Amino acid sequence: MLVSKNKDINLLLSSEQSSLLRFLSLYAVLAIMILLLLGIFYYKSQEELMFSNQRIELSNYANEQVKELKLLHHYFPSRTEYPRSYNFNSAIYDIERVKIFSTLKNSDVNFDKEIYRIDNKIHFVKYLDDYYLGAKYLFLEVDEDDAWYAQTITNIIILGILTLIIMAIFGLVFVNILLRPMKNSIRLLDDFIKDTTHELNTPISAILANVEMMDTDVMVEKNKKKLHRINIAAKTVSHLYQDLTFLTLNHNQQSNNEWIDLKKLFEDRVEYFTILAGSKKITFTLDLNYSAIHMDLIKITRVIDNLISNAIKYNKRNGAITIVLRKEYFIIKDSGIGIEATKVSAIFERYSRFNSSEGGFGIGLNIVRSIIDEYGLKISVESVLGEGTDIRVDFLRASLGKGKSK
Amino acid sequence: MIKRHSIKKIIKKTIIVSLILNVTLNAEADNENIYEHTCLPCHRYLPSSLGDMYMRYLKTFSGEATFKASLKAFLKEPLEQTSVMSDLFIDRFSVKDKSLLTDKQLDEAIDIYWNLYNVRNKLK
Repeated sequence: MLVSKNKDINLLLSSEQSSLLRFLSLYAVLAIMILLLLGIFYYKSQEELMFSNQRIELSNYANEQVKELKLLHHYFPSRTEYPRSYNFNSAIYDIERVKIFSTLKNSDVNFDKEIYRIDNKIHFVKYLDDYYLGAKYLFLEVDEDDAWYAQTITNIIILGILTLIIMAIFGLVFVNILLRPMKNSIRLLDDFIKDTTHELNTPISAILANVEMMDTDVMVEKNKKKLHRINIAAKTVSHLYQDLTFLTLNHNQQSNNEWIDLKKLFEDRVEYFTILAGSKKITFTLDLNYSAIHMDLIKITRVIDNLISNAIKYNKRNGAITIVLRKEYFIIKDSGIGIEATKVSAIFERYSRFNSSEGGFGIGLNIVRSIIDEYGLKISVESVLGEGTDIRVDFLRASLGKGKSK
Repeated sequence: MIKRHSIKKIIKKTIIVSLILNVTLNAEADNENIYEHTCLPCHRYLPSSLGDMYMRYLKTFSGEATFKASLKAFLKEPLEQTSVMSDLFIDRFSVKDKSLLTDKQLDEAIDIYWNLYNVRNKLK
């Protein structure tokens, strides 16, 4: 199931993945904002509940204090001691909000709220009808009970996480519904290629085997040319067949890594492509030093074949291909049509062809990228429109033997 | 005849004493503040002290500015309706006459009155 899902995700193009990522980010931001709002509402409601419980008690205290103030007012100035209580601190302010007397621990009072929290204290305000001692506002202060706060925060965190999980599940369901048509169309294309590939195998093998076996010495020059063309065409189809086979069958199989002599491999592959390159009068220039890499032979061959094949396909007539091999990298340079700078990043996407006049499915460079990524190689493209393209592959990590091992 | 002469003498003495007292009192007034000079002499004979009246005003008007403004307005235009004293008190002693003091003198007298009985300074 997991493998299947990963495969599904791999089926998506990078632009579709970024769209998906944007959708998920937006969904996550919205979900978090909704949760934050719900959390704030819940917190406020719990605070209001606590206030309503406190309000009754504080109202009783306030009434007691008013009685005391009334008595003090009556006997003032023979009695001048401000009434105090063990249960609360208090303060009186006149109608102009000037302090008359205060025993509050926190003197930062708010005249516009009946009850409020401030620095672990609860302040309650009572507005007096008779201004005993000139007091219009009577403030009472009690210590806040932290239990409700801890309980509320715990509830918010637990409920928030649960809701987030539920919303994440919903999100995944939505994404699946959203992606289903896209996945289906890609799967349909892959299935079609897979089925076609099976059917191509036998005829291609037969054509190539028979072309090799034909005795060209007894042929007239005209037929030799025709056979040569048949050979090129068959090799082109064979190359496409290799890519399709890799894409549909080999890609998800484990690698059989071994030390590969890259210089020899390049020489073999250049020889293989010589006939194809010859059809466009393209010449190869090889500057190869010895280098070895620890990789699956089939996969490194797919990388090299696809890069050379593209260098031929998108080259000019009478063009040139230069291949440079050093210990830690190789460069395949063509004198072709080049790629627009804005399209360089898209060339590795599956089914992406930057020149519709040329044949192909647009899967070659996608295969290259998947192998490059699998082995932790680095690929860089430099291209000038109308002048040509340099593709450089660095294999520092791969040469240390990194990658899937058998 | 003797009786009439005696009465005249008494009147003369009274006038002299009155003049002496008046001069003495005026001399004392120079040393008193305007509150003591203009307010205390009359209120001294009322059953409700100025302290009691202060507390009545404070209970009605609360803040310093409100208190002073209301008292000043009352002193300039005393009315039964604006008095803070009880009906019984007003029935018996009536409301006072309009003050003849200037605004500045009234402000000064009221400031002294406010500071004298201000509860803020006395609460403990």
